[in-house]
Formats: sequence, C-alpha cells, structure tokens
Amino acid sequence: MKPESNEPPKQVELFLSWLCKPDVLEEILGDLEEYYLELTEKPRWQRSILYWFQVMHFLRPFALKKISTYRPFNHPPMFRNYYKTSSRNLVRNPLSLFINIFGLSMAIGVCILAYGFSQWVNNVDEFHKNKHSVYLTTFFADRDGTLQQNGLTPRPLGEMLRADFTSIERVCRLEDRNVVVKYEDRVFHEQVRFSDPEFLDMFTFPLKWGTKHSLSDLNSIILSEEMAIKYFGTENPIGQDVRIIFGENRSKVFTVAGVAEPFPDAHAIDFDFLVHFDNLIEAEPSYNFNDWGKFVNATLIQVNNPENINTIERGMGRYKRLQNEAEQDWAIATFAFEPLATLYQHSGDIRNTISSPYYSNNYQAQIILSILALILLALACFNYINIAIVSAAKRLKEIGLRKVIGASRQMVITQFLTENVFVTLFALLLGLFLAVTVIIPWFEQINSFSMEFKLMDHVLWGFLVVVLLFTGVASGLYPALYIARFNVVNIFKGSVRFGRKNPITKVLLGFQLVLACLLIVCAIMFTQNSTYIANRSWGYHPEGALYTSVHDYSAFEQLKNVMIQNTNILSVSGSTHHLGRDHTTTVVRNANRQYEVDQLSVDTHYFETMGLEVTSGRVFNNHSESDRLTVIINKLFAKNLNLENPIGELIDIDNTKYEIIGVVDDFHPYSFYHAIQPTLFKIAPEQDYRFLSMKVQVGSENETYATLRNTWAQLFPEIPFQGGYQEDVWGNYFEEVATHGKFWRIIALVTILLAGLGLFGLVTLNVSGRVREFSVRKVLGANLKHISAVIIQQYILLFAIALIIGAPLSYFIVAFFFDSVYTYHIPMNILSVALSVLILIIVLLAVVFTQIGKISKSDLVSGLRVE
Amino acid sequence: MSKQHLGELEELVLLLIIMLEPEDAYGLEIRRALKEHASRTITIGAVHGTVNRLEKKGLVKSHLGGATDERGGRRKRLFTITAHGKSVLRQSRDVKVNLWQQIPELALSNLRIT
Repeated sequence: MKPESNEPPKQVELFLSWLCKPDVLEEILGDLEEYYLELTEKPRWQRSILYWFQVMHFLRPFALKKISTYRPFNHPPMFRNYYKTSSRNLVRNPLSLFINIFGLSMAIGVCILAYGFSQWVNNVDEFHKNKHSVYLTTFFADRDGTLQQNGLTPRPLGEMLRADFTSIERVCRLEDRNVVVKYEDRVFHEQVRFSDPEFLDMFTFPLKWGTKHSLSDLNSIILSEEMAIKYFGTENPIGQDVRIIFGENRSKVFTVAGVAEPFPDAHAIDFDFLVHFDNLIEAEPSYNFNDWGKFVNATLIQVNNPENINTIERGMGRYKRLQNEAEQDWAIATFAFEPLATLYQHSGDIRNTISSPYYSNNYQAQIILSILALILLALACFNYINIAIVSAAKRLKEIGLRKVIGASRQMVITQFLTENVFVTLFALLLGLFLAVTVIIPWFEQINSFSMEFKLMDHVLWGFLVVVLLFTGVASGLYPALYIARFNVVNIFKGSVRFGRKNPITKVLLGFQLVLACLLIVCAIMFTQNSTYIANRSWGYHPEGALYTSVHDYSAFEQLKNVMIQNTNILSVSGSTHHLGRDHTTTVVRNANRQYEVDQLSVDTHYFETMGLEVTSGRVFNNHSESDRLTVIINKLFAKNLNLENPIGELIDIDNTKYEIIGVVDDFHPYSFYHAIQPTLFKIAPEQDYRFLSMKVQVGSENETYATLRNTWAQLFPEIPFQGGYQEDVWGNYFEEVATHGKFWRIIALVTILLAGLGLFGLVTLNVSGRVREFSVRKVLGANLKHISAVIIQQYILLFAIALIIGAPLSYFIVAFFFDSVYTYHIPMNILSVALSVLILIIVLLAVVFTQIGKISKSDLVSGLRVE
Repeated sequence: MSKQHLGELEELVLLLIIMLEPEDAYGLEIRRALKEHASRTITIGAVHGTVNRLEKKGLVKSHLGGATDERGGRRKRLFTITAHGKSVLRQSRDVKVNLWQQIPELALSNLRIT
C-alpha cells in the first residue's frame, strides 16, 4: 500500500473551498480528515464512497458561501459615462479608429457577401414544392474500372415503373431536341423539351398565363417567360400558333397554352419550350418508345413517401437484367435515385444529367468564399486586439481611477466590451453599406450573375446579430480581460509597463503575416494562371477556322458550292460532330477491356481544316469509302490502349473491327476545365454532315465570316445562322479564368491593406510610446540608422519566423487548392511565393520608414520634458 | 426571542457538549459520542449544522483550539455551553419531568416502547 493512501482525496479540499465559507472551512476539513483516518480498515473504494458521502452532507446552508443577492450590476448613468469616455477616446485616436472600423467593415462586408452567396447557392431549386419526393432515375455503369453515374435511362423504364410500383405517384420522361421555332418572321434555333404531362405537377414552376393541365393536349406548347418575350413581346400569347420545324419535311403547329413565371435565378432545371412527350413521333418517326437499347434524357419519379425509395431501389433488379440483355456494351451495375432537393449538388458527378452542373462548382466556391470571409474577419479582429493592447497604456490612469472609486473587475470588463460592441456595431453598419453598394455589385459584375440579395430577410438580420456579437466579443474579450487585470497600486506607482512585449501581440501579428502571405500567393498564382491558360495550346489550331452548323447534307452541298469560290478559303470540310460543339460517346473493346471514348465523325479534310497535328500514321484518304473501317485516335487513347505502335492494330466497335491508321496529338475540344478524353475519329457518311468548317487565309477571317453569313441568309432565309469563329468556341472560359485573377487580386489587396494597417498601427503606437527613449538616444549621438535598427529589430525576428512558416505553408495550400479547382493549371512555382514574401517585406519597411521620418523631425526638448 | 425552542437532536448535542467539554467538544467527537450513548448515526455535516444552529441561538459558544500534528495541522472548533444554554436545557428537562409525573401509572404500563 502506498503511504499517501492515508491522505484523503485532494479534490475534496478544492471542492469544498470553492463552495464553503472560508471561516468554517478549516474545521470541516479537519473533521473530515480525522474521519478518513478512522476508516483505515475498510477497503479503499468503500472508504472513498463513505468519505464522499460525508463530504456531500456538508452542502447545507450554514456552510455554503452566500450566493450574492441581486445587486444592480451596473447603473444606466455609468453607461452614459462609458459612452462619453469611449467616444472621446476614439476621437482622440483617429488612426486606431480608422484601422479598426475600416478593417472590421471590410471583413464584415465580405462575410455578408459569403452569406448572400451561400443563401443563393442553397436556394437552388428550393422553390419546388415536391423537391423531397421527386427523384431522378440514374444508373451506375462500369467504365474502364470506375463506376460512373449517368442520368440517362432506358426508354421503356418510365412506363414500367409507373405500372409496377404503387408507391410511385407520378412518372415523367424528358427528351430534348434541337429544332427551329417559327412565329411570323421570328425564326430561331431552339431546344424543345418533350415531357409527360406530369412535368408541371412534379416541378412546381408557377405559370403566368394558362394552365398546367394544357400540357396533356398533344397540340399545346408551354413557353418560358424569356421565350414568350422573345417571340411575342410582353403581350399575352395564349392561343397564338407557332410552327416547330423538326427537320427537312417535318413540322407541326402548336398552340401556346401557357407561359411560365420568370424562373428564380437559382435554378438548375428549367425549360424553354414544353410539349407532350408523344410528339416525339412527329419529330422522329423512327422513335421507338419500347427499345431497351435506347435511352431517354431523363426519367423522373415522384413517390408518395420518400421512405419508399429504398424499396423501389431494391426492386430495380429485373429492369437491370432486361437492360443488360438488350445492350451488352452498356452494362448497368445498379440503378439509383437522386432526390431533386440535392440533385444540383451532385450534378457535377452525374453524366448527361438534365440538372445544370454549374451549381456543383458554386458549392465549392461557397466554401472558399466562407473561408475567405473568416480569414479576413480574423485579420481585422487581430488588428483590433493588437491595437487595443498596445494603446491600453494610454488608458491606465482612467482604469486605475475607476477602480479606486469602486469599479469592480467585471465593471471594467463590461466597459471595454461595450465600447467594443459599439465600435463593431458601427463597423457592421458600414460593412452592410459596403456590401450592398460595393462588394456584392462588384462580385456580381465580375462573375456576371445576380444573386438576388435581399436586405429584408430575417435570417440575414439574425446572421448580422451573430456576426456582431461574435466579432465584438472575439476581438474585445482578450483586451478587456487584459486591461481589467491591472493592480491599482501598480498603475499609480507607474510600475506597470506593458503592451510593448506582450507575446499575444506577436503571435497575432505573426499569424496575420502568414495569412497575408497565403492570400498574396493565391492572387499571384491566379493572375499567372490566367495568362498561362490564355497561352496554353488547344492542341489544334483554331485560328483562322470558321464553322457553321447545317441542317442536312443538301444544305451543306449548297453552302459549300457557293463558299468554295471564295479565294480566301484554304480548305472546307464537313462533319457530323465538331470540336467544341458536339461529339458522341462510344464503347471500344480491345483485348477484353472496354474503353469509353469520345467519337467524332469527320471527313477527309477535317484534320487539315482544324489544324490537328498527326504524329504518326496518316489521315483518311480522299477515297473515303476505302477508309470506312479505319479510325484515327489521339495520343491519350493510344496510351490507354497500351499499344507500342498502334498503327495497324484492330479495335472493336459495335462488333465491327476497325483499323487504327493514325495518331493525332492530344487536344482540348472543350475548355480546360474538362480533362482530355480518349478520342477517336471515324469517317462520317455524307448524309450525316451537320457541320461545315473551313480554314481561311490569315487576316481574312472577318471578311470571310461576313460572306458566310450573307451566303447563309440568301440560301436559307428560313433558318437562322448558327456558327462562328473557332477561336470563340470557348471564349468566355478565358474571361472566367481572368475573373478568378481579378477577384483574388482584390482580395489580396484588401489583405495587404489590413495586415499593413495593423502593422502600421502597432509600429506607430510603439514609437509614440518610446519618444523619450529615442530622444535620449539622439541626445547621446544616435543617428537615424541606429534608431531604424532599433525599431526594425523588434520585428525582424517575428517577420522571419512568420515568413519561414508562411512561405512553405502557402506553397502547399495553394498547390492543393489549384489542383482541386482546375483540371489544367500553371505548375506551382517558387516565384509566386518569393514575390509574396518580397511584398510583405516591402510593406514592413515602408511602415517603419514612415515612423523614422517622424522621429527624425521630432523635437528633442518636448520629447525629453517630463509632464 | 422570548422562548427558545430546543429540538430533540439539539438537546442531545447540547448534553453531549457538557459531557465532553472542555477538551473534546468538537464535531467529530460529538458524532462519535452520539453514536455511543444514543445509538444515533448522523453525518458529520449534520453535527456541524446542529452546533452551528446552537451557537446562533446563543446556547453554546466556540473557539478554535490549538493546532496539532493531527488533522493535517488543522485546528478544531471547540464548543462550551453558555449559561443560557444550561438554563434552556434545565427548562426542557423540567417540562418533560413534569409531564411524566402527570401521566397515571396505569396508562404508562400499557405503553410499549419498542
């Protein structure tokens, strides 16, 4: 047994001294200890229990400390006095006030932006009443080893689901087709959505005019508000007839039966034109509703109770079998249902979904923006804390006096906290003003969207109150506690010296520097990246290339025959698909493996026209017939196939053998957001030509483009022109990347400003507190160099440590950040980090030199005079 | 207060204090004596509560004893009865004796104290 086992548990003393009156404590503890010693015979555990039992019985009124009866914590007149001292104090230090208010209001402004943005993101599709009971049917299929979710569904599935499950209330199939819509002289290419009449019951888009039931009429069409204005102006178009041209000889007249209200800005699913699903037969006479081998764009179901979805999911096995028998190349692994409420978040991962994948990017942006807002808020709070601590020296006498005439510690804390909440409130109002007038409009402008920010939103006000209290307390608590701690006697004796060497100040300043370094590296990288992306090779030569889509082969022939006479044109080609516009996906078998690849069907001149570089083998011959069973692949696909020399190898597409005759360089058909896909080219049958592309002489692009448009207008006055410069195919992608640069530069500027101001405030206060010291130094013969060295010395170690931590940290964080944001981006480089370190050092030097100037001009006599 | 009311436990404790004074009349010892002479086991806290109440009523007075090596060097609070305490005790006894004497023998013989 250990000797100390005869001593009662130590906790008791603490426990009782916390609860009991000090004057009875000694006898109680004495009796308890004696009692404990009496129990030596008993086992330890029993002893403890008995002992604690006795201890707990001391919790009775005579022994407990008096709970102080209610005593007014503070008097209203005192608050008036606080207000007066605070406001005088703030006015006396305009620099500190400016730094605090400016920093806090900027940070709060960005917080409000982040809040508004997340509100906007989370509001996507929120307006649909059935968002929790409507599901999109998707399937997972194995694509070269990974499971890929796909939003398409086998065509007959919808009808079978409706018949087989009683828990499914509604089913809606959707199919989209590109058509030409004609009303009087207004003719445009449009996309029409064929849907089952339940569509408007499941998606509760409110209608401005007409009724949703009209969709069950085969001859009705429902328009979006935007389309109604495009064709009919602001008049009510109900009852008007529009002609929809599906193809060369196929068209149908529809009567407008409804117009939707404007869609809320935050929506991932919408429509331009809605017609009954059975009209697909008109559009495409060969459309077979019962073909398991074919897909429909989307099948949506609405269940009576969301809990039933699991039962339905389990019952999907039989359809999987049906499907996999019909289409072995596209073997489905499982069916899955995606609820409408969260569909927009996942739509980036689902292929071919009707829901815009745009929003899953925003989801990421929302997180980045929130982190950014927190960083800025932290910077501003740190400034506040630092300045408050350092400038407390000026208020020592005030605090001392308050304590002498009876202010308790709590009162002093309250005083400083109220002062702080007051300042924060002011900053909050300014921040709100900044957010509404500057930050949000700026953010909307550079990203060209509208986030529908509303001031009259009770959640926003709740959020603001939280921000106010959080910021007020986070920034004010430490200084208040710190200041209230001082002993009155020491204050008046003058022996309290503080503020200069507070470790907290240093840690906070160092932390600010690290954050600033991180954000500056971000800004530099984003700026570099936009240049890098703009200069990145597409992998082919879009310059001088023009394209237009054509509706059929005869149109292609007519256009080509006219255009070919133009001497500026170097080559003309026809194709079914086109880089940056269209492709199809196909499954290739080789050596028992399946590959999903992008396929483009083109003609023999296409490679020359688009400037695709052939690295080995050859392109299609002029005798296109002989190349019918040959393909040209890109390097990536060659690599995936694991073939040393792919030329002459045979691959299997749809059970037909194709010979690889050439390899082209990897190229980006779409923007750099999309990873390069394994791709193959096939010869397109002439009757399938849908695009005409041409290469023109350098310098004649605009002229030829005008000719192309005129020719089109003469040949096909009925059909709108759809074409452009190949270089513009992804034009706004560059703008978007440049926007990132713009955004981060501003953010970095704000950060530098915040950190710089904080540093400036600190150095200024520090120097002004040491005027006498510097005067003495000057009297003793110190020159400016010495004094600068003395000032810089204080910060140099801190800076060194902060940058040694900050630089590598920024390097890795930004590298990670870029990898997650961009598919292709500028490689991470040391230069950006070095530049950012340099900027911070320049800021430090600039700040210090402003103060040195002040010292050199200061008057020695007034500096040395006491009182 | 004109009339001091004395509780049953208070009365016992008061008697024990007279018995133990001057050396041993402190919390834990009173508790021990209570157990020994009256077969009553109560918590130390209850003893302290009672003597505290007695002191407030002016029936006992207390002082801190000298520090010893026992009890971790903590002092004991030693109680002594006051004159007022003694008279209250006497009164209480007189009331009871008086009552006992008024009860007829016969009635008492049927009383069974278990």
